[in-house]
Amino acid sequence: MIFRVAWRSIWRNRRRTLITAASIALGLIIAIFFIAMAEGVYEQIVNDGVRMQAGHITLENPDYQMAPAIDLRIGDVENIRKYIKKIEAVEEAKLLIWGQGVANSGAGAVGVSIMGVEPAVEIKNSPLARDIVAGSYLAEDDDRKVVLGEHLAKELKLGLGNKIVITTNNARGELVEELCRVKGIFRTGSDEIDGYFIQIPLNFARKVFGLQADEATQLGVILKRPQDQPMVMEEIKSALANKNIEVLPWQQILPEVASYIRIDRVSNWVFQGLLFVIILFTILNTLLMSVMEREREFAVLLALGTPIRKLKGQLFLESVFIGCLGCFAGLTLGGLAAFVLQIRGLDLAFLMPEGVTISGFAMSTTVHALVTPPVFLWTGGIVLGAMLLLSLLIMRRIKKISLAETLR
Amino acid sequence: MVKIVEVKNVTKDFGGDEIITRALRGVDLDLTAGEFTSMAGPSGSGKTTLLNIIGGLDRPTSGTVSIEGKEIHQLSAGQLSRLRRDRIGFIFQSYNLIPVLTAYENAEYVLMIQNVEKEERRERVLRVLKEVGLEGLEHRFPRELSGGQQQRVAIARAIAPEPALILADEPTANVDSETAGSLMDLLRRLNEEKGMTFLFSTHDQAVMRRAGRLIRLQDGRIIEDNLQTGNR
Repeated sequence: MIFRVAWRSIWRNRRRTLITAASIALGLIIAIFFIAMAEGVYEQIVNDGVRMQAGHITLENPDYQMAPAIDLRIGDVENIRKYIKKIEAVEEAKLLIWGQGVANSGAGAVGVSIMGVEPAVEIKNSPLARDIVAGSYLAEDDDRKVVLGEHLAKELKLGLGNKIVITTNNARGELVEELCRVKGIFRTGSDEIDGYFIQIPLNFARKVFGLQADEATQLGVILKRPQDQPMVMEEIKSALANKNIEVLPWQQILPEVASYIRIDRVSNWVFQGLLFVIILFTILNTLLMSVMEREREFAVLLALGTPIRKLKGQLFLESVFIGCLGCFAGLTLGGLAAFVLQIRGLDLAFLMPEGVTISGFAMSTTVHALVTPPVFLWTGGIVLGAMLLLSLLIMRRIKKISLAETLR
Repeated sequence: MVKIVEVKNVTKDFGGDEIITRALRGVDLDLTAGEFTSMAGPSGSGKTTLLNIIGGLDRPTSGTVSIEGKEIHQLSAGQLSRLRRDRIGFIFQSYNLIPVLTAYENAEYVLMIQNVEKEERRERVLRVLKEVGLEGLEHRFPRELSGGQQQRVAIARAIAPEPALILADEPTANVDSETAGSLMDLLRRLNEEKGMTFLFSTHDQAVMRRAGRLIRLQDGRIIEDNLQTGNR
């Protein structure tokens, strides 16, 4: 009976119930849409960053993080790679030789980051390999060929086929100079990458830096699903327990990106939370109104001997019904909107014609949302929890009803 | 005779520290089982206040009220609630039906909270609705019923749990005289057939005449308490 009375009571003022449920739904739609959009951006940043650099998990010399130097390398990389690629959750394992140097041309000299890469692997994984705007990307058998960023090319006044001299120290500490030619120019949209990065084929990098055939500075592991990172790290760590190799998550390799995501995620949730608190006050007001205008009815029910807990149960159920209605509508519509955004993406180029970089990474102006079950569980759970809290607040009203006065 | 209600020296004051309104000034009243008692008096004489105190809806400032020997204002809120549910039926002037429940469901409500079995509930509700003349209107909501029909539903709700005492506050005030007459006939018949004790307040002379006992209140005091021959 309480169930029936509660259900029918919420439809007694159909418009008010629908407005209340719509407020909840609107809050949820906004929250889900923006959280999913932010999660999509984070995933894009991480995905681009780890694929362009050293993977979701990076294997390197334990001292490399403190003072990146070319002599802090790791060996036996092919055997390690073979083992890692057998792990089900691993999509790719890539080798990198990463050093610093100076790029010289007739127009001047600029400090650069020199990255020895496996072209076939990079073409499949790195967004940089797809951002070539002139010439072409590296090939496995290229010797003395480089691809460099558009800003760097401009600064050194270099075009396709022009000569560039790379000066660096090799692993033995000797100064080396290599004459190369420009094979391709990339434009990622990031000033840092386009003005500072040079990529050369891995085998040529070994020659430049004086590394052996089975050596590299990093072995990057790209995962099929980023959330498998802890599990795969543990597996690799235990397999390499007797080797002098550090296994690091991308969050330690790209700490500024990790911090950005952490801070942005928290501020996004706080913003959505504040928005929802405002909506909750409106809902509280509506629920309170609906109780106050039925005080006489509650007094009658109490006079008839209805236990106060049953009346509280009725109010609780009314809040749950309205909360569930709002949640169902909000989660469905918010989820649908976010899902469409996940599939189709939203091109914000008209708002950001100059492009966008986050923590030094160029982002596509087309944003794709990322809809994940936890977003639904958390937002839906918080809303239902808040509705239950509100019902506790309005229940207090029942206790204050004076039967004789109300029934007068 | 079994005493159903025993009111001893009850007073009731309203108001704060400065202005006190004395609604009841030392009322003594006994009702025995099966009595059909009418309480008359001008507005402000204390009729509703006395009904509320007897029904456990309000507390006296002083004095005691016992229902079937239990001093009700010594009971906990839960015990008092159960006493109202099981032993007292209320009929209000403005019906006070639950608007979202049908006539059947309104009459069933108290039986539900008494946890009466579904089959027994159904049998009792259909019987009382028939007794009050609402056969065929069981599935109508209060808004679909006339004032008189709504009051019949309220009566059905009050008698369905078969309480010892029925308190009715101006039960005919909101209906025309013809309906008032038929409602009083109904209450009288229920009183005779079921032996329930009725105490109702009224302004209506015709209603007063149908009571077996007439109590007159004025300024919070009982000024007249007479058995009416021919009615009881």
